[in-house]
Amino acid sequence: MTETVLSGTGLEKRFGGTVALAGVDLSIRRGETIAIMGPSGSGKSTLLHCLAGIMRPDRGEVTLLGQRVDTQSEAQRSRLRRSRFGFLFQFGQLLPELTAEENVALPLLLDGTPKPKALPPARSWFGPLGLAGLERRRPGELSGGEAQRVALARALVTGPAVVFADEPTGALDQANGAETMRILVEATKGQDSCLVLVTHDASVAAHCDRKVEVRDGRLVVDAGPGAAKPELPQRAGAW
Amino acid sequence: MNAVTLAWTLLRGGGRKGMLGSVLTLAAVGVTTTLLMFAVAGNFAFADRAERTAWRTPVPAGQVETARQLSVLDMVDGRPMTVVYLTATGSGAPPVPPGMDGFPAPGELWASPELAALLERLPADQLADRFDAPVTGELGDAALVHGNELVAVVGVASDSPVLSARPLDGETVVGISEFGTDAASETYRLYQSFMAVATVLMVVPLLVFGGAAARLTVARRDQRLASLRLVGATPGQVVRVTVAEAILTALVGAVAGAILYTAVMPLLARIPIDGGPWFVADLWPPLWATGAVIVAVPLLVGLSAVVGLRRVVISPLGVARRQTPPGIRAARLLVLVAFVGAFLFMSSRFLGMGALGSLLMLVLLAGVFGAINLVGPWVVSLLGRVTALAARRPAPLLAGRRLVDDPRSAWRTVAGIALTGFVAGFTVLLSPQLTGYAEDRTLLTVSVPTTQVEAVTASVATVLPDGAKVTGTNEVEGVSLVDVETPVDSAAIDRFRTEVAQIAPGSPTMGTDDWVRFDDQLFTDVKTGVLVVLCVSILIAMVSAAVSGASSVLDRRQVYGLLHLSGTPMKVLNSARRMETLLPLAVMGGGSLACGMLMAMPFSSGGEIAGNLALLFTVVGFGVVGVVGASAVSRPLLASVMRNTPPRPD
Repeated sequence: MTETVLSGTGLEKRFGGTVALAGVDLSIRRGETIAIMGPSGSGKSTLLHCLAGIMRPDRGEVTLLGQRVDTQSEAQRSRLRRSRFGFLFQFGQLLPELTAEENVALPLLLDGTPKPKALPPARSWFGPLGLAGLERRRPGELSGGEAQRVALARALVTGPAVVFADEPTGALDQANGAETMRILVEATKGQDSCLVLVTHDASVAAHCDRKVEVRDGRLVVDAGPGAAKPELPQRAGAW
Repeated sequence: MNAVTLAWTLLRGGGRKGMLGSVLTLAAVGVTTTLLMFAVAGNFAFADRAERTAWRTPVPAGQVETARQLSVLDMVDGRPMTVVYLTATGSGAPPVPPGMDGFPAPGELWASPELAALLERLPADQLADRFDAPVTGELGDAALVHGNELVAVVGVASDSPVLSARPLDGETVVGISEFGTDAASETYRLYQSFMAVATVLMVVPLLVFGGAAARLTVARRDQRLASLRLVGATPGQVVRVTVAEAILTALVGAVAGAILYTAVMPLLARIPIDGGPWFVADLWPPLWATGAVIVAVPLLVGLSAVVGLRRVVISPLGVARRQTPPGIRAARLLVLVAFVGAFLFMSSRFLGMGALGSLLMLVLLAGVFGAINLVGPWVVSLLGRVTALAARRPAPLLAGRRLVDDPRSAWRTVAGIALTGFVAGFTVLLSPQLTGYAEDRTLLTVSVPTTQVEAVTASVATVLPDGAKVTGTNEVEGVSLVDVETPVDSAAIDRFRTEVAQIAPGSPTMGTDDWVRFDDQLFTDVKTGVLVVLCVSILIAMVSAAVSGASSVLDRRQVYGLLHLSGTPMKVLNSARRMETLLPLAVMGGGSLACGMLMAMPFSSGGEIAGNLALLFTVVGFGVVGVVGASAVSRPLLASVMRNTPPRPD
């Protein structure tokens, strides 16, 4: 059986009186691509934040390769996010001061790799992602799709265990979005990383091996090769 | 909903982050206004002082002479003392001198409070006997340049020997009908021109910076205003809302700044110029000037807001495209090199060229000054390039790139310090020539009717210390100039002055050290002025660093937030921001300081500068700590932006 890379067990999270997660169990195996879907306010982004160590769940456990994440300090989780995870957001994640290649090299630089050593691995992503020749451009000189692929290169450059993507195609047109998703899934699988994708767009989710749906803070559908048994709603009419 | 109401709603609804931005804008505008008022008030203060010196210079009467006036400069206790002798001619009512109730009758002595105190303190044979009259009354402030001044108004009879005196400073008795109001002393004309230069030094960066403060308002609003555009607001409406908000904030800031200025006026009044502090009332500018500042500052902020808004108005998406900016030409450096080179080449020749030399020196100095301003952004840009190129870590890389992207903004922060630093560096090495005639001896000159030379020679023997002797006597038309060399003994010299005043009233004894002392006073004042302008520049730089720090955080809040989510430690960003301020400050501020010192070296006498240097470096040290500290003010803002930004923009 394929190794479990990331798992969340019994995850609960409240914001004041609002329940964002009401006990979610989710395991992700090596090389797996998983789409977390659900309507606005369903708790899908909160689930991604808890799994990625951005926020701590009120209850439950998050483990990465058997190691607890949720009990770590903010500094430790920051380091973990920097070194073991990659992130891709909707837009606006590139530093406008840096060139495309420097933006890609940033996680390596932050981890102490000197610039001359950090740039070659960063550059190596430009060809495969269709960005050859754009290495020295600034984010303002890139199209939306190009900027998103540069961000993807940055997410992948450390060889992360898991790539988290939050509506990565939300700011792109359909053709660009589909292309970006194809590259995202290929590149992630290409280096045996997992992909955890949050989207409300079924056509985007279709690129993933497995789809889970979150409603009212619960996992209500889990479909695909690695699916776990879906949890039954405890309250009738919850969805 | 009109623009002002909507602006007010946006202002109130900005939340904590918005509030922090508003408070920063408010504080920035407040400090700008305070400093602007100081710069403006300085001119009026010097004008007030100059005006109060005018009555001492007699203006010849047009038709009927109602009084006769002789103003002379005397010395006591090592300090200058102005003595004005007055007598009525009897042909009409004589004018009433400022600070007095009426025209002094013969035998009356009106003294400034400081002189009255000195008359009490010093033995009569050192001072009081020079007047031969008890103090009749105290002179009011209207007669005095400052509260520490020594001034005497002496009423004399129309046949007094004073009126035929030939004082050394070349003054003569003048028939007057009123006291002069225009002829300010030459010294004060010079002070006023220095103040004008200082005003330019302070006001230009203040105005530029006041404009930059408006960016804060725009920076935190552009997204919301872009949304307004998306829902169909016209560019005109968006501009009106933003300008209304900026002006509202700035108006409150300007009023607060004026109040703050009033509060610090008593402290500012303590800055000693011309040997004394200011009357607090001098530092209060006329109402129209205060009003003009309070109106001009918000208008300027509003105007800058319009300029800052262009991008939002042009594009409803409010997207700023960032590209590599065009480079700044290196030719600017050649201009600076040319001016410094010319100055250094000419430095040994200025003194031999007389007035032309002085003019040329001023022109070249002004040229260096302008060239530093021209070369500033280029150096900042170069500095950024080198830093980014040499960077192995993210912080210097980011700092370097930020400097390359907007060298003018970084230069604006440090320009005041760099420009004043140049002047400070120049003046610090020039030390007052405290050495007068000789180390322990001095030369006194007495101007007396030739018939009195013997009496003076007798006084030299009886009053001055052993070793004092008459070294020469020159006679011109019945008046003799007697040179007396004496060991330095302040009390004995004052006794000698007092005796001579009794022998030949109206013609004070002056020594070579006294003339040197006047030059030294001017020099000390220039240094005080430079130090004050440097402090103001540091304050401007501090507020500017705080504002540009905050607006750059707000400009990049989305990307900073997402970087935090990806695990970027805040200290990397803070360290980049610190370097971004410190690098240009150290290179430009330190560079122009060194440049000024280099140019002053040919003139430096070498001695007595250790204290000056220590003071300058202390001020500069505090300045650096202050500016770096001020740029750290936006740390909580960065922290809140990093922790609270959702992965998707709201």
